[in-house]
Amino acid sequence: MSALYVAFRVSDAEYVLPAAQVTQMESFNGATPVPGVPPWVTGLIHVRGQVIPVVDVRLRFGLPHLTPLLESRVVVVQHGTRSVGLLVDTAREVLKLAPDAFVPAPELVVRTTRGFVKAVIQAQNRLLLLIDVERIIGWEDVHGNQRQERV
Amino acid sequence: MPASFDAREFLAGFLVEAAEHLVSANQNLLAVEAMLQKGQPHPRAVRDLYRSLHTIKGLASMVGIEPIVDISHAMEAVLRAADRGGGRLAPGMVDVLLKGTRAIEEAVGALEHGRPLAPAPATLLDALALLPAQAPQAAPSSEETFTLDPALRSKLGLADKEQITQGLLAGRHVWRADFVPSPQRAAEGITITTVREAVGRIAEIVKVIPIQRQSAPGIAFALLVVTDADVMAIAQAVHADAEQVVPVVQTAPPPGPEPLGAAEVERVGTIRVEVTRLDDALDKLSALVVTRYRLERATADLAARGADVRALAFVVQENGRQLRHLRAAITRARMISVADMLQRVPLLVRGLAQQTHKQVTLDLQVGRAELDKGVADRIFPAVVHLLRNAVDHALESAAERTAAGKPEAGVLRVSAHEHGTSQLELRVTDDGRGIDRDKVATRAGRPVPHSDEALLELICLPGLSTMDTTTTTSGRGMGMDIIRRITVDQLGGELSVKSVAGAGTTFTLRVPLTVTIIDAFLFMSGNQRFAVPVASVEEIVDLEGARIASWPRPGSSTGVQTRILDRGGTAVPLLALQSVFRLPPDGAGRRAILVRRNGELIAYEVDRMLGQQEVVVRPLEDPLVRRAGLSGATDIGDGKPTLVVDLIGLGGSLLEAEA
Amino acid sequence: MTEILVVDDSKVMREMVVACLRALPSSEFAHAGSGLEAIEKLSLKRCDLVVLDLNMPDIGGIEVVEFIRGQDTLKDLPILVVTTRGDDTSRALALGAGASRFMTKPFTPEGLLVEVRALLDLPGL
Repeated sequence: MSALYVAFRVSDAEYVLPAAQVTQMESFNGATPVPGVPPWVTGLIHVRGQVIPVVDVRLRFGLPHLTPLLESRVVVVQHGTRSVGLLVDTAREVLKLAPDAFVPAPELVVRTTRGFVKAVIQAQNRLLLLIDVERIIGWEDVHGNQRQERV
Repeated sequence: MPASFDAREFLAGFLVEAAEHLVSANQNLLAVEAMLQKGQPHPRAVRDLYRSLHTIKGLASMVGIEPIVDISHAMEAVLRAADRGGGRLAPGMVDVLLKGTRAIEEAVGALEHGRPLAPAPATLLDALALLPAQAPQAAPSSEETFTLDPALRSKLGLADKEQITQGLLAGRHVWRADFVPSPQRAAEGITITTVREAVGRIAEIVKVIPIQRQSAPGIAFALLVVTDADVMAIAQAVHADAEQVVPVVQTAPPPGPEPLGAAEVERVGTIRVEVTRLDDALDKLSALVVTRYRLERATADLAARGADVRALAFVVQENGRQLRHLRAAITRARMISVADMLQRVPLLVRGLAQQTHKQVTLDLQVGRAELDKGVADRIFPAVVHLLRNAVDHALESAAERTAAGKPEAGVLRVSAHEHGTSQLELRVTDDGRGIDRDKVATRAGRPVPHSDEALLELICLPGLSTMDTTTTTSGRGMGMDIIRRITVDQLGGELSVKSVAGAGTTFTLRVPLTVTIIDAFLFMSGNQRFAVPVASVEEIVDLEGARIASWPRPGSSTGVQTRILDRGGTAVPLLALQSVFRLPPDGAGRRAILVRRNGELIAYEVDRMLGQQEVVVRPLEDPLVRRAGLSGATDIGDGKPTLVVDLIGLGGSLLEAEA
Repeated sequence: MTEILVVDDSKVMREMVVACLRALPSSEFAHAGSGLEAIEKLSLKRCDLVVLDLNMPDIGGIEVVEFIRGQDTLKDLPILVVTTRGDDTSRALALGAGASRFMTKPFTPEGLLVEVRALLDLPGL
């Protein structure tokens, strides 16, 4: 039993998320900044008729900011009724992985990634980190009024 | 005080009514032409055409618009002669009359947009003047073959009798149902007008004839209808008992030529073909207009008694201006039916077919959906472009089609139905040659698209055209990229294509039924563009040379100043929007936008104003970007969302903003 | 209170007539958008004057005049018909059917007031 996963890179690590949650993959042409949002929300973009926010995954993971390159991609994920774009360094592959081959992430990984990674998998000699989409798009941070998360 | 009459006050109302009459006139002209091709007259349509032009002439003369008076007068003369001739127009007359309605439409358009009005074109007036001489004579009338009270029968015209005869021959019911008005019924909203509408939904009304009655209220209305509905439905609609509804039946077998099926006789009898429903608001607006006249009268009375009414008169004048703006805003915001939006399509396709010398059969299927006029105004040009493309490029010539085993006339299908509860789905389908994927790919220098999605991406590349020779009709029409921009980016809809080589192409557009459209000022602040609703702006002030007092804000570590703007003696807090929004600094702000919050003025300094335009506002739904002070985002044409700011709502939260 | 019924299928036209007549003292205006509606309103409520456009759908102004004159209670109701310039036939037919006076479009407020005051027996300007 295997399922499809979209793989992307941020800095020198590789991450995956279920392809079923991905609705689109677009190149990045800049976003309209929104005042008063956490610094890891890059801004707004138009995608297929929707205006959606873009989360800079680098900043979200606590990494230093990088000017987006040509290969940078926006991976648009669907979570419930929310549609959010994830800005990553590159996103090129779709992999077939067995969901039960994932193991819980080691303590160290969880701490350094602050809960954004929920599991890991070894595939083709690579270590792939399964991300927690819900945590990344910051659902629990955004109750009521702003609570700015300092990077 | 002499009664003064400012025709400009009524111009807006005139334009709306004239537009409605023109819609119905065009439809009637097409109906007459269709009957002409079968060698038949169309007395009802001709009669209605005559009336429409007569009405337009009367209204235009009252509002003082000479070019429209001249054109409608000339057209009315032609139609009067045709009406007297039994409802016949000679071939070729329809074309000239369509030119006439077109010329009136152009004049109406010029007035709507404040452009100068040209006098009526002399060539058109000459052409119209020559027409009555060609009107052919009436054919002898058919025998009456049905039962009806002679008093009522005497009130029926030729067209009415034909309609009843044909209805009976087609096997439909013809009823006479009487409606009796009363004060109680009127109080409940049951009037001859509402009864007509109710009956009109289940039957074709031939005529409504007022009759005298012995008992109160002394009158009744006899409705003669042709329908498939049964007697119970009709009785209910006129609030009468079933026994009181009288059938009208045939008395003799039909002589003469084949009867026309009911479907072929177009019924365009009422002046507003699609009941263009003006909002309840517009009715209430009329009441406001009347009240304003009373106010003017009262002011005049005061002046006559020696009071100084200058300030009052100014307010009344301002009120009048505001009412005009209000009417414009309501008209803009109203919903229109899909049928209304697409009513020009038959005329358009007819013109396209003529220009390209092709035969085109149009199949128009519209549901009962209603959509925002704003959406309709934006999406209709896209539909027009798709139709142009279809007739110009997609449909082959008659010879090619016959060789390919297709019928000579190309088939164009336009459908518009509700999709779910909040969208309208528009489809434009042709049975032409389909999109040549290889050709398009070569033109674009891209790989050949295999999926429909990939094909759509390709044809939406800006500047792409697959025609080798200049097209006959398209010229500077919009490209597919703009169609996608409008449908998808601006309106938040969907666009898709399906195309099969040799068989045809279908474009599907889905658009929301309602959107929020506002008039907005665009401005720059912190090197970023923003929009703010015009309605929320009290004033825009030039800060050059303005009196501003400033002092350091207590407790601020970065030297942020508190500033006050002196506006005619009022102290208004002045805030730099770029610092409120923590934007990168730009040049010194030149302008301030003033808004009023809870009665208090606040001024926001911005870099510069960019202009004003109507924008479609898309709400910001994601919790990540929902912020006080932001109403939504819009696309002003450059593909990137532009934030729409709520400066009034911002006022509350900014006082917490620290340096 | 003078009750005036304004009959025209054009709302704009009705508004213009009311605007022209606003100098009349103590007047109330009722509206009818068709001849049928006018007949209905006349049968249900008292009216002192009808301003009637001759060019209307379904039942023309002339038929309305004929019907009104056929009612005992409305025999003497002042009827002012409005026609368009050049439509002599309709005007003649309307007067023949019993209309009291006529106006041709375009008319000025002063013109309309003169006719209406005459019909209502009011002192002129």
